[in-house]
Amino acid sequence: MITLTINEKEITLDKPMSVLDAARKAGIKIPTLCHHEALKPYGGCRLCVVEVERMPKLQNSCTLMAADGMVVRTESEEISRTRRGILEFLLINHPLDCPYCDKAGECELQDLVNRYGPTTGRYTEEKRKVPESHKDHILARNMERCVVCTRCVRMCNDVQGASAISVIGRGNRSRVEPFSSESFNCEYCGNCLTVCPVGAILSRLYIHSFRPWQLDREVETVCPYCGVGCSLVVQVRDDSIKRVIPRMDLGVNRGLLCSRGRFGYEYIHSEDRLRTPLVRKDGTLQQATWSEALDIVAAKLTAVKNAEGGASIAGIASPRCTNEDNYVFQRFMRTACGTNNIDSVSRTGFAAAQKYFEDLLGQGITANLLDGLKNSETILVLGDDPAAVNPVLGLSIREAARRGAGVIVVGYAKGLDKFRTLQVIPRVFREAEVLEEVLTGVFSDRGVRGDMPYVDKGIRELSDRISGKKTGIEGIDETVKKLLQSASTSIVLGMDIVQRSDGHRALFAVAGLTYLLEARLYLLSGRPNEQGLIDAGCVPDMLPGGRPVNVPDFRGKFEAVWKAAVPDREGLTLLEIIEGAGKGNIKALYVMGDNPVRNIPHSSFVKEALRSLDFLVVQDIFLSETAEMADVVLPALGWTEKSGTYTNLERRIQLLRKAVETSSGMEDWRILSELSRRMGVPASYSGPEDVMRELARVSPLHRDLTYGEIAAGDALWPYHGEPLRGEMYEVPEMPDGAKDYNADFYLAVDKPLFHSGTLSRRSRALMKICPEATVRIGAAGAAKLGLKEGDKVRLSTPAGSCEAPVSVDGTIMDNRVFLSGNFTGSGVYDLMNFSIDKITKAPGTEGCEVKIEKIQGRG
Amino acid sequence: MFNDTVLKEIEGIKAKYPDRRSALLPSLYIAQREFGWLSREAMTCVARSLNLPEAVVRGTASFYSMYKHKPAGRHVIQLCTNISCMILGAGKLVDFLETRYGVPANGTSGDGRFSLVIMECIGACGTAPAMLVNTDFYDNLSEKRIEEILENYK
Amino acid sequence: MEKVLLKNIDNPNSADIGEYRKAGGYRSLAKALQMQPADIVEEVKKSGIRGRGGAGFPTAMKWNFAMADPKFPKYLICNADEGEPGTFKDRPILEKNPHLLIEGMVISGYALGAEYGYIYLRGEYPAAKDILEGAIEQAYKENFLGDDILGKGVRFRLSVHQGAGAYICGEETALIESIEGKKGQPRTKPPFPVNVGAWSMPTIVNNVETLSNIPYIIEIGGEAYSAIGSSDCPGPKLYCVSGFVENPGVYELPMGTSLRDIIYKHAGGIKDNGKLKAVIPGGISTPVLPADAIDCAMDFVAMPKAGSMLGSGAVIVMDESVCMVRVTYRAMKFFEHESCGKCTPCREGTDWLRKILERIEHGKGREGDINLLSDVAGVMSGRTFCPLGDGAAGVVTGMIKHFRSEFEEHIRDKQCKFRN
Ligand SMILES: Cc1cc2nc3c(=O)[nH]c(=O)nc-3n(C[C@H](O)[C@H](O)[C@H](O)COP(=O)(O)O)c2cc1C
Ligand code: SF4
Ligand code: FES
Repeated sequence: MITLTINEKEITLDKPMSVLDAARKAGIKIPTLCHHEALKPYGGCRLCVVEVERMPKLQNSCTLMAADGMVVRTESEEISRTRRGILEFLLINHPLDCPYCDKAGECELQDLVNRYGPTTGRYTEEKRKVPESHKDHILARNMERCVVCTRCVRMCNDVQGASAISVIGRGNRSRVEPFSSESFNCEYCGNCLTVCPVGAILSRLYIHSFRPWQLDREVETVCPYCGVGCSLVVQVRDDSIKRVIPRMDLGVNRGLLCSRGRFGYEYIHSEDRLRTPLVRKDGTLQQATWSEALDIVAAKLTAVKNAEGGASIAGIASPRCTNEDNYVFQRFMRTACGTNNIDSVSRTGFAAAQKYFEDLLGQGITANLLDGLKNSETILVLGDDPAAVNPVLGLSIREAARRGAGVIVVGYAKGLDKFRTLQVIPRVFREAEVLEEVLTGVFSDRGVRGDMPYVDKGIRELSDRISGKKTGIEGIDETVKKLLQSASTSIVLGMDIVQRSDGHRALFAVAGLTYLLEARLYLLSGRPNEQGLIDAGCVPDMLPGGRPVNVPDFRGKFEAVWKAAVPDREGLTLLEIIEGAGKGNIKALYVMGDNPVRNIPHSSFVKEALRSLDFLVVQDIFLSETAEMADVVLPALGWTEKSGTYTNLERRIQLLRKAVETSSGMEDWRILSELSRRMGVPASYSGPEDVMRELARVSPLHRDLTYGEIAAGDALWPYHGEPLRGEMYEVPEMPDGAKDYNADFYLAVDKPLFHSGTLSRRSRALMKICPEATVRIGAAGAAKLGLKEGDKVRLSTPAGSCEAPVSVDGTIMDNRVFLSGNFTGSGVYDLMNFSIDKITKAPGTEGCEVKIEKIQGRG
Repeated sequence: MFNDTVLKEIEGIKAKYPDRRSALLPSLYIAQREFGWLSREAMTCVARSLNLPEAVVRGTASFYSMYKHKPAGRHVIQLCTNISCMILGAGKLVDFLETRYGVPANGTSGDGRFSLVIMECIGACGTAPAMLVNTDFYDNLSEKRIEEILENYK
Repeated sequence: MEKVLLKNIDNPNSADIGEYRKAGGYRSLAKALQMQPADIVEEVKKSGIRGRGGAGFPTAMKWNFAMADPKFPKYLICNADEGEPGTFKDRPILEKNPHLLIEGMVISGYALGAEYGYIYLRGEYPAAKDILEGAIEQAYKENFLGDDILGKGVRFRLSVHQGAGAYICGEETALIESIEGKKGQPRTKPPFPVNVGAWSMPTIVNNVETLSNIPYIIEIGGEAYSAIGSSDCPGPKLYCVSGFVENPGVYELPMGTSLRDIIYKHAGGIKDNGKLKAVIPGGISTPVLPADAIDCAMDFVAMPKAGSMLGSGAVIVMDESVCMVRVTYRAMKFFEHESCGKCTPCREGTDWLRKILERIEHGKGREGDINLLSDVAGVMSGRTFCPLGDGAAGVVTGMIKHFRSEFEEHIRDKQCKFRN
C-alpha cells in the first residue's frame, strides 16, 4: 500500500504506479504530451512537471514513481511558468497553420497552449522548414508540426512491432520518417495516427474533408473484417463515414487497429453497391421491385420444395452477417424450405476445425481470451500468419515475445519473423507428421492424462504407429523440449493446414497437444462471425446452440417455438452441397452474403455446379461473381447500416450498431422473414434485438442473454449456458497417406494483411496499399526461373491459369508459390482443385502442381 | 547482400554480445567500409544480417555523426573546431581548406578528392588545432602543415 | 608524486605487455586474485576514490549497489567516450598504457562478480581502438583475460565497443543504449544501471581514469592511497590543459592542486606572456571562471564552492584576445549539435540559444537579447532530461554573469572586436 498526497488529497494505491497515473486515478489532470496510456513512460516533453516536497527541483510526474508519504502539488506559479516556457519552446519551430491543419479542434498542443499558453512568441528566428510529404498513398507527413514526442515511433516499435518508422537525425534536426523517407511501405495499421498529438501524421483518406466539430455522430461498433472483432468508433457526417478510430478504453483491441479495420470502411459507400433487387429475365439480370423479387423467390423455392423435397434445397450462410441474420437464415432454411443443408464457406477451415476440436475435447475448447495469449510462456503458431489473418491477435503474440515468451512457428508466419524464437519447416504439405512427432515426443515424456480415455487411446495408438520413425526435421526436438518446459502454452492454429485431404491428422495432433499440455487453443478466423454462425445454427448437423439436429427432443423444442417442422436428418456440408448441385441433387441454392465462386477452391468447378442449379438466389451488398450467376439478387444492408451482434474467435458476443442511414437494401434477416411469411411459415421480428430475444430463449448457449449484457461487454462464453456439444468418444481413423511433393512448384493460398475475402477490394485505401495479387516465390525458385521482383508470370494448373507479378520472398524455403484469393482474374482458388477430407469435410488443396512461365520482364 | 566473409565477420561481432542488436553499430561501420557510405542498400544489408527492421537500422545510424549519410569524397577530413581548436585558429583552417582545395564545410570538393566534416572535440585540445584524415590523426595544424599532410592523400 | 596513470608513457613501447610487465604490471591483479572480492571493494572504499568521469560519485558506493543486486550476469563497462570538449586525459592511458586499464578492469570485474567487460571507446579515437584491441589480445594470450585467469578459475572477457560520434553517449545510460545498438538517448533513472543496466542486467559504468586507479589502490592499499591529494577526494588526478598556455598537455597531479598552479606552475603560464582573461575549468559544460577566481582547489568539493565544477578536469585557458561571446556561441553550437533530442527544453532551448548568440556575435544583436538568453536558459535549467541541457544553460548563465559587458558591447556596437 502506498499513500501519498496530491493537491492536499490523500490517495492510496494498491500497486506501484507513476505520480501521473496516481493523479489521474484521483481525477487530477496533469498536462502531458509525450505520455500515452498505450505506451511506456518516456519523459521527453517535460510538461507533466510537478512539485514534490523535499525534492529540490520540479519533477517529471510521468516517470516518477509514487512513493509512500510523498506530497505533491500539480499546479503552482512556478509550474505554470515552466509549462508556459516549454510550450513556447515547442512553438518556436511549430508552424502556426492551425486554420489549415486538419488536427485543429483535436490537437493536444493547441489545447495546451489555450490553457497555459504563451500569448506572444519571442522567437524571431527562422523556423525549421520541412516540406509536407504526400509520397505515401495513405499517410501524409508534416514534420514542421512534429513535436518529437515520439509517440508514433514508440507505437510502431513497441506495440505494433512493425518498426516501419523511426526518428531520423538527432536534436532539433529530428524528424520521423519511414525507411524509404517516402512511402511508408508498412503494415498500415495507422496506429501512429491514433497517438500523434498534433497534425504531423494524418490520414489522406479524409484530409481537408471535415473538422472534428462538424461530425454528426460517433457510433461504437465492431470491425467487419476478421474474427478478432475489434471495437471501433465510426465518425459520421451526412450519412457518410468520415473516419474510423479506435478508443483506448474499448473492446479487445484497446486502441489498436489494423489496416483493414481502420482504412477498409470505404466499401460501404462504394459506387458498386447493389441498389435494387435484380431478377433474371431473358438471360440477363434486370432491376425489379422488392415485392416482385420476393414473390419470385418464394414461389420458386416453394415449387422446388413441393416437387423435389426440402433436401433438394440448400443454403449458404455468411460469416460476415450477424448472429441475428444467420439465426433467421437457418430458421428459414429449416422451416420454410425444409432442409438441413445449411453450411457456409467457413467449412473450408474454421468450421471444420472447430467441429473437430469440440467433438473431441468438448464444447468451448477454442473459447480462450486474447489476454491469455499475451501471458503465455510459449506460443506454438501453425498454419498461417496470425499477424496477417488476425492482425490484432498477432499483436498479442508480438507482445508476448517482447516479454520473453517463446514463439515457435511451424511453417511460415512472416509477420512474426522478427519475433519468433524457433522455426520448424515441415516438408511441403506434410505438417501433420511434424505435429505428430511433437505430440508423441510430449507424450513419451508426460504420458497420458487420463481424463479423456478416447484421446489417451488415440495418442497411444499414434505413438505406436510412428514409434521410432523420425522425420529428421530440424527443430522438432527443441520444440518438444520447449513445450515440456513451458508452464503456460498457447496454440494458434491457422486454417492452411486444415486444408489438406488428411487435415484431420494435423487436427488430432493439435488436439492431443492441447490436451496433454493443457494449452489454450486459438483458431484463426478470417471472417468476423465464423463462430457466431456456428452457434446460430448455420451448420448442417446442429440447431442453434449446438443442439444436434437428429435428436428428436431437441428438435421438438425448436419446432414448438418456430411452429413448424424441422427435418430430422443431418444436412450436407458445403462441398457436398456444391457437388450435389453439380450432380443435380440440389436444385435450388440460397446464398446469403458470400461469394462461393471465389471463396471455394476450384472456381470453374463451382461455377459449373452452380450453373446446373434450377434456381440460385444471392443476397448480398455487391454483385459478386456468384451473384452474377443468380436468378434473383437481393440487395442487403451492410455493416454500419444495421444493428446486430458478432461472436469473435474468443467467443465474445459484441454489439454492432447502426451508424448510417441508406435508402436501398434490406437487413438480411428481414428479407428472410419476408420470404418466410410468403412461404407460409411466419417468422416476424420487430428488430434485431427481438431476434436475439428468441435466440436467447431457444438456444441453451445464448440462454437469457440480453443486448444490455452484450453492450456491457459481459457476453463471454459460456454466457449463462452450459457446455453442450457432446464428445466424439472415438478418434477417427487416420490414413497414413504421406507422400512427397517433389514437383518444381506447388500452389498455396496466400492471406495478405490488406485484404480479406472480396470485400476489401471495394475499399480504395486498401486497393492503393495492395492493388493486385502477387505471386510470392522463394529466392531459390525465382533463381531457377530467372525471375526478378515485379516480373510478370503466368501460372497454370489443370484447373485454370492466371497472370500476376512476382514478389521474391527470401523467407520461403520450399517449392510452394503463394497467391491470394482476393482478386478477380487471379484468385488462387481459380487454379486449385481439391479433394474432401472425409472427416472434417474441408477441402484438401495440397499438391496442386503449378507451371510458371515468365511472360514479360519488368517495365 | 554482403559476401560470406563479411557475414562471417558480422557473426563474429554478434558473438561478443548477449543480443544481436548490439552488433548494430559495429556492423554499420562494416557496411560503411564495404559501400563507402551508408546508402539504403548498405543499411538493408545490415538489417538483413542482423534480422532487424530497416527503419530501426536507419534511425539508429542517423543518430551518430561519424557515419557517412551521404556519399563522401575519397578522403574524409574531420577537423575539430571546438573551443580549444577554435581559439587557436581552426576557423581559419576551414576557410583555407575551402579556398585551397575547394572543399566546403560539411561538403565534398568538386573533384571528389576530399570531404570536410566539421567535428566537435576530437580529444587533441593540447595540441590544437587537430584533424583526422580518414583514420589518421594530425595535430598542431597550420595552413602549411595541412598542405604537407594532404600531399599524401591524392 | 610518483606517476601512477602516466607511468612509463615516455617509453615508446609502453603499450606492449612485456614493457608493462617489466614495470611491474599485472602484479596487482595477481595480488587481487588472492583476495576475496569483498576485501577488494573494502580497499577501494578505504581509498575514498571518486569517479573521474565528471560527477565524482564515490566508486565503492556504486560498486556496492551493483553487488547487492542478486541478478547475474553483471557487466562492467569502461566509459572511454571522453567527449567533453577540452578533455584528452583518458587518451594517453588508452593509447600508451592500455594494460593499466585492462588490469584495472579485470580486478574490478573480479571484485564485482562481473564476467564480461566492454570498453565503450569514442569513434574519434581510431588509433586507440587498434592499440586496445592489440593489448586485449596480448592479455588473453598471457591469461590475464579469459575463462581461467591466472589459473584461478576467474573469468573475465573484454572487448571494445566503438562509438560513432555522439557526445551524449558519454552519459552512462545513453552509453548503455548505444552498446545495445540503439540511439544514445538517456534512460529514465531510477532504475539505475547498477540494477537495470546493459541488457537489463546490473551494470557498472566507470571512467577510464577511475578504473586505471584500481591496480594502484590494490598495490599500496586503500589507506595509503587516501593520503594522496585532497582529503575528501583523494588520489592522483589527470588535468588536461589547453588554450593559451605555454605548455598545454595532460598533467598527473595530486587531486586538489589549485587551478592557478595548474596553469602557471605546470602548464607554463599564459602563452606569449599574454594576460589571463578566463578559464573553463572542467570541460565546456562547466561554468567559466574569470581570471581572479583561479585560486581554488581543483577537486569535486572545492570547485562547486568556487562557482564551477571539476568536471573532467579539462582546463581551457583564454587570454584577452578571446571573445567570450564567440566562445559561448561555439559552445552552444556544440550543445545544439549534440543534444539527443529527447526532451523539449534541451532540444529546442539549445537551438534557440545558439540562434540568439549567433546573431549577437555577428553584430545583429538586439536590445533585450541578454534577458532573453537568461530567460531561455532559465526555462532549461533543472528541467532537462539529463545534465547535458543543464550544462548548456549553465554556460550561458555563467558567461553572462562574468562577462555581461562583452555581450552588451556586441549588441551596442553591432560587431565583434576580438581576434579569437
Ligand atoms: C552529458 C554527459 C556526458 C558525459 N560524458 C562522459 C565521458 O565522456 N566520459 C566519462 O567517463 N563520463 C562521462 N559522463 C559521466 C558518466 O555519466 C558517468 O557518470 C561516468 O562514466 C561514471 O564513471 P565514474 O564513476 O568512474 O566517474 C558524462 C555525463 C553526462 C551527463
Ligand atoms: S484485427 Fe481483425 S477485427 Fe481487428 S481491425 Fe483488423 S480486421 Fe478488424
Ligand atoms: S508527459 Fe511526462 S515528460 Fe511528457
